[in-house]
Amino acid sequence: MTLYPARRRRNAMWMTLSVAAAAFGLSWLLLILGVLFWRGLGGLSLAVFTQMTPPPGSDGGLLNAIAGSLMMTVIGVALGAPLGMLAGTYLAEYGRHSNLAFVVRFINDILLSAPSIVIGLFIYQVMVAPMGHFSGIAGAVSLAVLVVPVVVRTTEDMLNLVPNTLREAGSALGMPRSLVIQRIGYRAARTGILTGVLLATARISGETAPLLFTALNNQFWSLNLNAPVSSLPAVIFQFALSPYKEWQQLAWTGALIITLAVLTLSVSARMLAARGTLK
Amino acid sequence: MNAIPHAEIEAVAKLEIRNLDFYYGASKALKAITLDLKANKATAFIGPSGCGKSTLLRVLNRMYDLYPNQRAEGEVLLDGENILDPDLDLNMLRARVGMVFQKPTPFPMSIYDNIAFGIRLYEKLSKSELDARVESSLRRSALWEEVKDKLASSGLGLSGGQQQRLCIARSVAISPEVILFDEPCSALDPISTAKIEELIDELTEDYTIAIVTHNMQQAARVSHYTAFMYLGELIEFGDTDRVFTSPREKRTQDYITGRFG
Repeated sequence: MTLYPARRRRNAMWMTLSVAAAAFGLSWLLLILGVLFWRGLGGLSLAVFTQMTPPPGSDGGLLNAIAGSLMMTVIGVALGAPLGMLAGTYLAEYGRHSNLAFVVRFINDILLSAPSIVIGLFIYQVMVAPMGHFSGIAGAVSLAVLVVPVVVRTTEDMLNLVPNTLREAGSALGMPRSLVIQRIGYRAARTGILTGVLLATARISGETAPLLFTALNNQFWSLNLNAPVSSLPAVIFQFALSPYKEWQQLAWTGALIITLAVLTLSVSARMLAARGTLK
Repeated sequence: MNAIPHAEIEAVAKLEIRNLDFYYGASKALKAITLDLKANKATAFIGPSGCGKSTLLRVLNRMYDLYPNQRAEGEVLLDGENILDPDLDLNMLRARVGMVFQKPTPFPMSIYDNIAFGIRLYEKLSKSELDARVESSLRRSALWEEVKDKLASSGLGLSGGQQQRLCIARSVAISPEVILFDEPCSALDPISTAKIEELIDELTEDYTIAIVTHNMQQAARVSHYTAFMYLGELIEFGDTDRVFTSPREKRTQDYITGRFG
């Protein structure tokens, strides 16, 4: 019993430190959000969503940048997510212990932590240089390369969580393997896989580095995949570094929009995941 | 090994296991098993953990085929056809030989779809025919009264015993000829266990049953024949009453009287 008060004190001390560390980390997030709202909210108006990025010294909006970002993100996910799901399915269902799966998993892990600027340079080398110009499709492909490893990993992890007894039960009814995966595996793992896709979407919608080498930027309205396309991160990068007041304001507003979009995606992904585990 | 009583000769063999060896990689899990599963009878497999009884069951629908490095040698004849033939259509075999697992394994879908799913694999039925088949399968497994008002809700929301009966209904729905039960009650409470046992008893009217169990009273209650296995060998096989009342082998007697296992 004599040791008990000391243990209580130690517990209280570590508890305080843990709470303080959590509060410290959270406070930065709150600070960032606060500054974004403080500086960005003022510039938020209808014009932001209806007008193009202006030349220096005049008013304008971010429509071309928002549209370009949306387009490249959607295409990036559309290209990357199915590929990632198929590869993840191979790893979890067919290749589990094969050497090929081991190699694929290893490469995927490297890709998962590869700096996005390297991906941008790579796409520059294999797409932009041969084509002779920057293009929206190159931007979308570089984003897709970022989506793939995230989706591969979550798909594999989620399918691995599906109990083997469930697969056996499917097989015991005489279901071929492909049907067991489609109707039972995917069904049991669907919220997890969808969460992975949403998180990958959130990740690429804020990526700047790969787009600078691939889609570049475009001051005008363009959804031409074969030509440079504007994007929010690239515009923020350019406008924030500029000396012009109007551009700086638009950069803050763009940053706020992108943050809210990513936050919404992340929160819905978490909510989806929570609902999935409750069931 | 056993002089077969007259009554046992009468029943027709549905599955004939002939000189069956089974390997997990290099280790031999079943050694020269030979026995018959009689049509419309329940045969229980008992024995201590690791004796190979579940392994034997998983040979009968080639479930082991899902895993690399597992292989069977010998013959298993289903109505005279060797199911160990590598060219055999596994999915058709599994449609004829259903299986119910130790842990209830409802699919992550509605109660209705859990049953309808398997049916749709083999038959194209109209909505009303499908409804009727789902109902009769659920009635057959004594679950209908409990779930008829919530067929659209998830099968995962049922209790353990109900889930297990749902799995039995799912097997029954595709009209198999043989149903394998792999310790179907080991995760269930006594009341659910009693219901499942009663069900197995009724199912022998239409199906050939094989059941692996750790519970000797259960084997005695539900089966017509009992096989006692030990370390991958079939030690004794015969009429359940006879095996439990006057075992011929000392190891059988030691096991059923609780001296080991």
